[in-house]
Amino acid sequence: MEKVSRRNFLRMTAAVGGLSLLAACAAPAGQPAAGGEAAAAEPVEVTFWWWDDGGNIWADGYAEVNPAVKVNFVNTPFADAHDKLLTSFAAGSGAPDVASIEIGRVGGFTAKGGLIDLKEVFDAGQFEQDMVKYKWTQGSTEDGRLVCMPWDIGPAGVWYRTDLFEAAGYPTEPAEIEALIGGAERTWDDFFAFAKEFKEKSGGTTSLFANAGTDIYGAVYRQQGEGYQEGNKILIEEKATRPFQLAAQARNENIDANIGWWGAEWDAGLADNAFAGMVIAAWMQGGLTRNHPDLVGKWRVIRAPEANYNWGGSFTAIPEQSQVRDAAWEFVKWSCCTADGQNLLFKATGVMPAYKPAWQDPLYSEPVEFFGGQAAYQIWTEIADNIPAILRTPNDLQLDDIVGAELTKVLEEGKDPVQAAIDAEAEALNRIKDTVA
Amino acid sequence: MATLVAGQTAPPPRSKFWRDVRRNLWPYVFISPFYLLYAVFGIFPLLYGLWLSFHTWDGISPMEWVGAENYSTLLFDDIWWKTIYNTVWLFFGATVPQLTIALILAFIINTPYIRGKDIFRAAYFMPIVASAVAVALIFNSLFGERYGILNHALSYVGLGPIDWLGSRHWLKPSIALVTIWQWTGYTMVIYLAGLQSINPELYEAARVDGALTRHIFRHITLPLLRPVILFQVILSIIGAMQNFDIPVMLAGGTQSSAPGGTDRAGLVSMVLIYWTAFKYTQFGYAAAMAFVLFVLIVLFSFLYNRWQGRNPTD
Repeated sequence: MEKVSRRNFLRMTAAVGGLSLLAACAAPAGQPAAGGEAAAAEPVEVTFWWWDDGGNIWADGYAEVNPAVKVNFVNTPFADAHDKLLTSFAAGSGAPDVASIEIGRVGGFTAKGGLIDLKEVFDAGQFEQDMVKYKWTQGSTEDGRLVCMPWDIGPAGVWYRTDLFEAAGYPTEPAEIEALIGGAERTWDDFFAFAKEFKEKSGGTTSLFANAGTDIYGAVYRQQGEGYQEGNKILIEEKATRPFQLAAQARNENIDANIGWWGAEWDAGLADNAFAGMVIAAWMQGGLTRNHPDLVGKWRVIRAPEANYNWGGSFTAIPEQSQVRDAAWEFVKWSCCTADGQNLLFKATGVMPAYKPAWQDPLYSEPVEFFGGQAAYQIWTEIADNIPAILRTPNDLQLDDIVGAELTKVLEEGKDPVQAAIDAEAEALNRIKDTVA
Repeated sequence: MATLVAGQTAPPPRSKFWRDVRRNLWPYVFISPFYLLYAVFGIFPLLYGLWLSFHTWDGISPMEWVGAENYSTLLFDDIWWKTIYNTVWLFFGATVPQLTIALILAFIINTPYIRGKDIFRAAYFMPIVASAVAVALIFNSLFGERYGILNHALSYVGLGPIDWLGSRHWLKPSIALVTIWQWTGYTMVIYLAGLQSINPELYEAARVDGALTRHIFRHITLPLLRPVILFQVILSIIGAMQNFDIPVMLAGGTQSSAPGGTDRAGLVSMVLIYWTAFKYTQFGYAAAMAFVLFVLIVLFSFLYNRWQGRNPTD
């Protein structure tokens, strides 16, 4: 038998390798091309991606409403859910029929192709008046298409713990606290003055909030509406300067607990009474109920100083790849644009609907156990609808990171906030000059 | 059995090629899974990445040819060079100490008067088995400024508190500490395997000649272990340049408002590449970064090989 020479082996390798490439490219996308008009005996299957097991609630709920459609829910962990979706667009196959897109990432999808215009292809336009306005704007494209259907919102406010307020000698009812901080017209300065006094009264051990970055910057920036770019204009200097200044002030005056959010320190700090409150959005309720059940009932919420704001929230969208668009739209319409669908999920997970008619449910005026019987959902609905809106852009995440890096210098190293905003703006202009004329 | 060396006889190459293929069809079929997979998952992505690096592409819209523009932008990208600095810093701050400690530990464990070698070996090897998420969870609480055990321990000797993950000066040492903790045992086991291939008679002969332990280590162990060290160092260069999970977990991940830590002190190249591609959706630019990183890895490995790779007996 002859041995294979090295050169021939290499030739062979190249030949077979090339063939395999051809084969890979030619692989069909093998999806069933079922229309929306399938017989009841054989339900149309709609794949739905979300990063929370709550997706099963919708899948099961929709099975009862519309047996002709079977929703296959897939839990795609948040860390790579959007990357996966992007990859499937790039590959031309593999996208779900209904995708979930978070507010931070929505700009990367609205500015590009890949998603169906829900107004043009379907009758989504009829829901514009029913949706929270800023959310509708965020799901729309520059040329007026709606590619991401508003799903949930994150109305935010100041949360505080009654047990720690009591211990520091304060009243506990929201109305009384509001009066203490400066009434309806309270400013961040009033809030800081109260925070300072609170820390003194608690003997210096308990701050009013955990972190100047998350609680103060996160709130003051979002009060102007999320996003540092409008059209081809960068707004960092305009929108980040004051939040930088206030965050720096909170840190310098030592009124935050200087504990980073979402880590072991934060949980330990909460258990150790290092901070008596937080400035955060409605969705925090779910995690707190799970991780700190002993604090359920001790929380109260009031509006943030100066203005209402929103933090987070998601959208649903139908990728152009979907072979069962009609069924996918029926599911999106039921889940996001009916009180039944939205409230089914809201009751189970506290995900606050962007669909305003859902708020008519008596559920929203009832006392909430988590907030010690306060009608907190009522407050969320009042906060939700008066928030400034701008279009999202594909540069959002990069701009967030540029500003975030400067914020670390302001908070950790005492960099001048005004200079930090100027530097961030300069860097943003330098980095995304292609899109900014 | 006839051995056929290419070029010895010179029939028309094409027909000979196919004759060879027909004759040896089955061996080719049996080894095909490797090179098919290698072509699809190795060669193709590499070449495609190179091709991509000459385009701008957001992952959805059509690709647009921009020539070498990505590379010329990258050349003056201060954040990119900062991540290279951070990566190289971590190579010297984490990988070099880790390789050194592992070598010394392996030498100690390999000496005949250590009992319970297997226990030590298993204990040192253990961290590599731990999942990245568990490691992140544990070290994030160890490094806590206010409630962390490290600062608690330091307070007994009157030091601290140190802002391990918040301060730009401590972030890289913190990352280095975790890297050393996780990888020393693995390296040690490889060194141990190398040490066990050294003939013990050499040690005995040295002892008889009156050599001290440090002489034995310097003049017998090190030279004879050289091929293993070379292998391990080059693997470590590759690994360190592609450092990803520990920096991303300690220096702020995708959801952090402090990306890469204070002033990006903990941002390494692989993390920036990942963000550039999937967060900022600049796939072409990220591909250029990845290719530059690839060239740097080859360069560093090559230089080290030139420096240390020659056989000591040459």
